[in-house]
Amino acid sequence: MARRPRPSTILLPGERREGRRSFLKKGVLGAALLAVGGGTWLSTRRTVAPPGLGGPFHVFSAEELAVLVAVAERLVPQRAGFPRPRALGIAARMDAIAAQADAATQGDLRRLVRLFESPAAGLLLDGAPRLFTASSPEQQDGRLEAWARSRIALRRTGQRALRRIALAAYYSSPETWAAVGYAGPPIATGARAARGVRGG
Amino acid sequence: VAERGVQNRIVRGSDVHADVVERPDVCVIGSGAGGAMAAARLSEKGARVVLLEEGGAFEPSDSDLQEATSYPRLYQDHGQRATADLAITVLQGRAVGGSTAVNWTTSFRTPDRVLARWRDAYGSALTPEALAPHFDAVEQRLRVREAPIEDVNPNNRALLDGASRLGWQVARTRRNVEGCANLGYCGMGCPIGARQSADRTWVPDALARGARVYANARAVKLTVEKRTVRQVVAEVLDPATDRPTGRRIAVEPKVVALAGGAINTPALLLRSGIDLAGKVGARTFLHPVAAMVGLYPRRIDPWYGSPQSVASHHFADRGPGKIGFFLEAAPVHPMLAAMSFGGLGAVHEAAMEKLPHASALIALTIDGFLPGEEGGTVSLRRDGRVQLDYPIRPELWEALREGCKALARVHLAAGAEAVLSLHDDPVEIRAERDIARLDAAPWQPCRVTLFTAHQMGGCALGRDPERSVVTPELRLHAHDNAFVVDGSALPTSLGVNPQISIMAIARWAADGIAAALR
Repeated sequence: MARRPRPSTILLPGERREGRRSFLKKGVLGAALLAVGGGTWLSTRRTVAPPGLGGPFHVFSAEELAVLVAVAERLVPQRAGFPRPRALGIAARMDAIAAQADAATQGDLRRLVRLFESPAAGLLLDGAPRLFTASSPEQQDGRLEAWARSRIALRRTGQRALRRIALAAYYSSPETWAAVGYAGPPIATGARAARGVRGG
Repeated sequence: VAERGVQNRIVRGSDVHADVVERPDVCVIGSGAGGAMAAARLSEKGARVVLLEEGGAFEPSDSDLQEATSYPRLYQDHGQRATADLAITVLQGRAVGGSTAVNWTTSFRTPDRVLARWRDAYGSALTPEALAPHFDAVEQRLRVREAPIEDVNPNNRALLDGASRLGWQVARTRRNVEGCANLGYCGMGCPIGARQSADRTWVPDALARGARVYANARAVKLTVEKRTVRQVVAEVLDPATDRPTGRRIAVEPKVVALAGGAINTPALLLRSGIDLAGKVGARTFLHPVAAMVGLYPRRIDPWYGSPQSVASHHFADRGPGKIGFFLEAAPVHPMLAAMSFGGLGAVHEAAMEKLPHASALIALTIDGFLPGEEGGTVSLRRDGRVQLDYPIRPELWEALREGCKALARVHLAAGAEAVLSLHDDPVEIRAERDIARLDAAPWQPCRVTLFTAHQMGGCALGRDPERSVVTPELRLHAHDNAFVVDGSALPTSLGVNPQISIMAIARWAADGIAAALR
């Protein structure tokens, strides 16, 4: 006779569970920073969220999104034809992408954003004790590059996560397609369109 | 109560209003290339089949051809699956039809030399002769035919022309389409139903033979007593939110056929306490992929046209001690391109601005054949989530680098003005003399974008229970009524796009399962 099924131990998006192994704790550096920071140094309490970010958000705080918007603004700097990320409402789009991840990954992403923003991390990792959001564009590019090229694999992973979320949010937005010469799908979509193509 | 009278249509999560118990002959877990095929074949042989699929059921008209919605809807982890270090982006389908529902339609038979290796090294029973009738049946049902030359888009044309001029082996591929309009959106779900994916073929075939097919039904655990799997427990997911509704489906079959794919099948076994001394989830192979982007004076429009119609296997066998690779094209749409291209700020923007003139060619490395090459590992995190690790050994970096050199030569021969690598600081090649710059580039995790679209292994077949998870007949060594009928049973990678190999092997295995049921 089969036993009764036990409750699932599987996490699905939106569920929370204690005792998970965090992204940062996987690396010695992350562990050290978390220990040094004790939560305070890695906070975004001094980060100023600019007005007009939008919201309400499901994953990130407005301050965390201010960091991500600042990242996006450097990944897509001013260039003719390219809309400003801020003008696209990219904060909500990045939040929506993170909302697709499971709860543990969302927590990792939030810790990553705070670490990236933190002056402590800036001092320890880049010799510059500044908030990312309060740094000059050149300093911001320097931090992004330092993480991308770091000898520490965990920082490269972190940079990749930030980059993916910002670039995915920006370039999946139809408002950006003209800048890259993409005319969009060749057919109208939906049932009516499918019939049209078949008939044609 | 679930609509138990419903026949010939898929039961979605929104149709299930109470817990369900099913007692079929066979429970198939996963509706991709392996699972849907096995379900159709077993139904044809008279078995009562329940097919569980975690992903959603979609119609061609559901496809909106937008990256922002298609990847979350149709891919594992809502489009965010990757190795734990994010070094390798994992493209793997999650829907009725599995990866066949996002597949770029390239259809190769398993190379004879791969089957020979499996027989020699692992005691496999698979021969070209044994598989031939199964490939015949698969190719007939899927309308597998060579792509006509007029279907070769400029992106694939770069590979065809470049490799031809270099004197390398290159050929048009066979594709599983019928009435294809060459739109270019295979990876976002074919909007006109032209691709003959499992959800358009084997799943309807299984339904027509009386199989019960559940979408939005996530198998979470196998209940095992001694050497027998007694029950499969599945959670019902809300199709709108992809979250559990609280309803459960308990399937108590005579036989279980696992087909969740090479990452989720090992994960399900591990969640069920079946790890076989670390062999479950070990030896996971990915055909790790590197890409080179050629920028051409002419327009390529890499987003339109049949995504793959040409392949070169010129470098598939590079001799002892070397990992081979094969060359194909990849469709380009803005989001995935942006996430893949290197460079910060203006460098990245400049490359993106040239997308209409960009051709993306890929080198797929053939992993799992070197002595001691263990590939990656599927494991469970403490909270039950699946984790994929894939340490890249020096021989694989060498193959990825040489693959990129070959791609650069193809692009230059095809008339590219410049060729870019996907490094964080992209290597730019304008002439043959520049190719050596790739030697100095950083070949390290997360310094160059890598992908996998082919996941294999993790429940390797073999004669020796000490070195394999399933028997040559694909039955679990340690469990009498459980089979693995997906890509996870492969003991190495394939060296070709796996879709119809997995189908043919699953069909072959299903005949064995049907015989065992009698």
